[in-house]
Amino acid sequence: MIAECVREAEVLEAVAFRRWPEQCGDLAAHVSSCEICADVLEVARALHDDRDRLCREAQPPSAGMVWWRATIRARAEAARTASQPISILQGVAGACFVGAAAGLATVAWQSMHWMDRLGELAVHLESRRADIAAASTLAAGHGLPILVAVACGLVLAPLAIYLTLADD
Amino acid sequence: MHDMTLSDLEQIGDDVAVSEATFQMDEDAFRLFYDRTARPVWAYLSRMSGDARLADDLLQEAYYRFLRADVSHESDAHRRNYLFRIATNLVKDHRRRRSDTQTGVAADGEPVDPLDPQSADAANGAVRRLDLARSMARLKPRERDLLWLAYAQGSSHKEIAEALGLKTASIKLLLFRARRRLAGLLRGGER
Repeated sequence: MIAECVREAEVLEAVAFRRWPEQCGDLAAHVSSCEICADVLEVARALHDDRDRLCREAQPPSAGMVWWRATIRARAEAARTASQPISILQGVAGACFVGAAAGLATVAWQSMHWMDRLGELAVHLESRRADIAAASTLAAGHGLPILVAVACGLVLAPLAIYLTLADD
Repeated sequence: MHDMTLSDLEQIGDDVAVSEATFQMDEDAFRLFYDRTARPVWAYLSRMSGDARLADDLLQEAYYRFLRADVSHESDAHRRNYLFRIATNLVKDHRRRRSDTQTGVAADGEPVDPLDPQSADAANGAVRRLDLARSMARLKPRERDLLWLAYAQGSSHKEIAEALGLKTASIKLLLFRARRRLAGLLRGGER
């Protein structure tokens, strides 16, 4: 249940305009007999005095300083937002480069075996005993580097994008 | 990516399409508004957070969010209420982050030695401040917000509702309960 008193506003006004208690003869008599208004007076005086003290003691930065900091921060945020697509592209490009490098390395590694196989194939051809099985082995030898490059790209691209964006 | 330095920002300079146009008011209007509101907002932040240094940071953040907000204000009072709403949310966010072991409001008064006061008034004032800080610390955060806005700031029920995101109709009851509680604490007992 809410208990109200019609004179609460008068008490608040007296506190706010610093008329309490000197200029509040009638109101002071009422407050001494009204529990509601006594509570209002107690709380309002304490908080009003506290606010006045804090406002006096406050040393907020100047308006110009706050404005300047806000401008700088807004610019930094805008620059960060603007650079985000570039970061993503850099990440994708980096991942592609790593994938391609991995692919080339695999091709180089495979080519050493391939040269051996070429020799073997030449021997086979010379002896006219080349068959379909040898041809499929050769195709598998070429397909592996491509598979490795694609796999590297698939694994590294999300990782590179994550690492790039994690800085932001 | 490295953190941006001031020179980086200066290089970006005019290339970046950010200027006063991104803020909801121009610098002159902001200065006027700031000069009228900065101290009361700081007092509110200081008392609600219980930390004067934190209040400095929150003050800057509050005005930044205010400036960046894409909101049209029909009056200066509305603009001020909106600022207090931002301040209230900042304090709420801070409370959420803070560990539960800390008290809500620190008693920020200086040490009081009743035997050696420079003046009786100063000592009494310091004691009253400590009493208030301790009593406020025992209230719920929302009760503190309500009481401050109503009795320190002089806001109407509608303004308080706007600032705290509550229904106007519920303010009277909440305020009544909070006021009874604080008055009881200030008198040295809890009701």
